[in-house]
Amino acid sequence: MTTFLQIVAIVAVIAGTFFSLVGVVGYVRLPDVYTRLHATGKVGVFGGVLLLAAAVSGTSLSIGKGLVLIALLLIIGPVTSHAIASAAYRVGIPMVGQRNDLQRDGALAGQRLAGEQGQVQDG
Amino acid sequence: MHYLVVILPLWLLYLLLTGNGEVSNLIVGLVLAVGAAALLRPLPRPIIWRRVPGALLAAVQYVGVLLWDLARSGIQVTRIVLSPKLSIEPGVVAIPSGCASELATALSAHAITVTPGEMVVEIDADGVMYTHCLRVDAAAEYVARAQTMRRDLLQRIFV
Repeated sequence: MTTFLQIVAIVAVIAGTFFSLVGVVGYVRLPDVYTRLHATGKVGVFGGVLLLAAAVSGTSLSIGKGLVLIALLLIIGPVTSHAIASAAYRVGIPMVGQRNDLQRDGALAGQRLAGEQGQVQDG
Repeated sequence: MHYLVVILPLWLLYLLLTGNGEVSNLIVGLVLAVGAAALLRPLPRPIIWRRVPGALLAAVQYVGVLLWDLARSGIQVTRIVLSPKLSIEPGVVAIPSGCASELATALSAHAITVTPGEMVVEIDADGVMYTHCLRVDAAAEYVARAQTMRRDLLQRIFV
């Protein structure tokens, strides 16, 4: 059983490190704030969850604490991505891409801090 | 009775964090949970006990879907990021949440942010979620279907 848990821990550490690394690579390669948040927000959280799973199975961290931490990470990760994206949009950071329903519907137009900024094709 | 919804999760959280099943610890946790619940506002409506098992089942299913989505999301974004061509076509799509309550809308937005290639940027007053997608064409149809499924689960949890 101990050996099995250790193997699980090793696999989880390797996978978690890999996904964290992918988050960084995505941050470098993707073109704008919004796409970068996909890489850092989601892949980063996934990597973190795997590393926590490794900690639960490989170290003396109790499973209860591990579960609570994983749950908190799952709640907080997407919320921070959303908060950063929302703030970036309100400040008027340009978005790469053709389709933008947000601009089409004129939602939150009055709340934007920067004035009428057109859609910029390349960030 | 209304406080039980607050007290039980708080007690469970305390026990998970302390990881100690002794009687004294159980009592301390219960006292702390009751004390914390006493400081909070009572819930606006009573619990319908008949619906609790169904709601719990839906909650477990919801968390399972969320974890599965997170794993797929990680793998999908990894494939996009590591592919030499970086084949993305980003854009923002409007998705109506279809949920009545604000809590359910917020949870839908959270779930969408976890699903592969999507992230909610804004929610307007009518509950329309403006979702940023890494691949607009592929996302639009899938998102609508997934949202219907999540809305049904959320309605079972929060009835």
